[in-house]
Amino acid sequence: MQRMIPVDKLARPEDHILLPAQRLRKARGEQGLAPGNAMPYEDDFLKSRMHGICAGEFQAMEAAGRTLYDFPDAPWEFQLDMARQVWDESRHAEIYMKLLEYVGSYYGEFPEGEVLWSCTQAEDPAARVAGINRGLEGLACDVFEQLIRIAQKMGDSTIERSVDYVLADEITHVRMGSKWMRQLTEGDPERLKRAQAFQDGIDDLFNFGGGRTTVEQAGHIKQRVNDKEIEIDASITIAREARLLAGFTEEEIDRLVKGFGKSAAY
Amino acid sequence: MKMPDLGERGNVTGPQPIAQIVEPPAAMRAAAKSLLNTLMRGDRAGVEAMTAEQAREDMGRIANEIKPGKYDKFELIGRGRISRHYFLKARLTGTDAPPFTIQFRLGEDDGKWTVREALNLTERRSGWTK
Repeated sequence: MQRMIPVDKLARPEDHILLPAQRLRKARGEQGLAPGNAMPYEDDFLKSRMHGICAGEFQAMEAAGRTLYDFPDAPWEFQLDMARQVWDESRHAEIYMKLLEYVGSYYGEFPEGEVLWSCTQAEDPAARVAGINRGLEGLACDVFEQLIRIAQKMGDSTIERSVDYVLADEITHVRMGSKWMRQLTEGDPERLKRAQAFQDGIDDLFNFGGGRTTVEQAGHIKQRVNDKEIEIDASITIAREARLLAGFTEEEIDRLVKGFGKSAAY
Repeated sequence: MKMPDLGERGNVTGPQPIAQIVEPPAAMRAAAKSLLNTLMRGDRAGVEAMTAEQAREDMGRIANEIKPGKYDKFELIGRGRISRHYFLKARLTGTDAPPFTIQFRLGEDDGKWTVREALNLTERRSGWTK
């Protein structure tokens, strides 16, 4: 049985544009935009941000489903959690598709990258949940908390409440990841170390060269959203409160803030 | 994948869209059609004139694989934008030739749309295939 299927095995409608990350970055860079898509400054930033999240929800749904399929010998409760996550992510994808329509876009308006899927490539279920549930879903907590604050500044309760609803699930997913990373590696410190190292790589990847910081320390920029100009963070921030709710320790969050990207065992 | 048409939005209970969908510029569509027709004709100089320096090598390879007159129809099957640049996916078909699929990016400078990058997707599953 093939584990860790390559990204191009994912089914997508033929009319979608699928691109490796470097091509996305190149196209952005040539237009004078931040290449990493960390905080797009273009007029349509809300659309492209929502689109990136929506694509992420689809890939997260596929990733949880793949984890369920790839590890048939994992504990039944583990499989149940993964099945639950598939269901959660499918609802999230639906919510973001509706939010895309709400902000004047549609799924497929922008190309879809493959970088999130590259973070699922682990043979061990402990590493898989460390990477996906703790690394990527931790990032989702940061991105969603920031989007909620943006919506509040816009005075838009539709986006604010929808994203808050999704964030509540993501917090649960991180907790699931922490629980299973611990349980699956019990009595095997080397395996735990490998799982953490896999997550560290993902945290580093999304630390954007140490460019992320706390909500309190973030610089601000003026951003036009439709007919309003609002002040938003100049980079993706680290949502301490949401991460604490999700079960990350203060120490882990501090390490992320410092750009070390190392996660302690707990 | 567009949301299903829910009819007149004003008649639908609930939040209404806060912004309009961005329609692709007519000049961009025209440039894409012109490029594909030029490719099918086998007009290498014409293709080169519509391609930015950085993409000429890739586009030249693609043009070399398309024998003049082999293809007589094209279909634009996909589109995605990054800010003001557009990625397009097109399929060329002809009676005696297997379909040829190409993905390219168009950008505009001083009113002229040119190819900024191009990828031959024939026999590849997607742009994600390494």
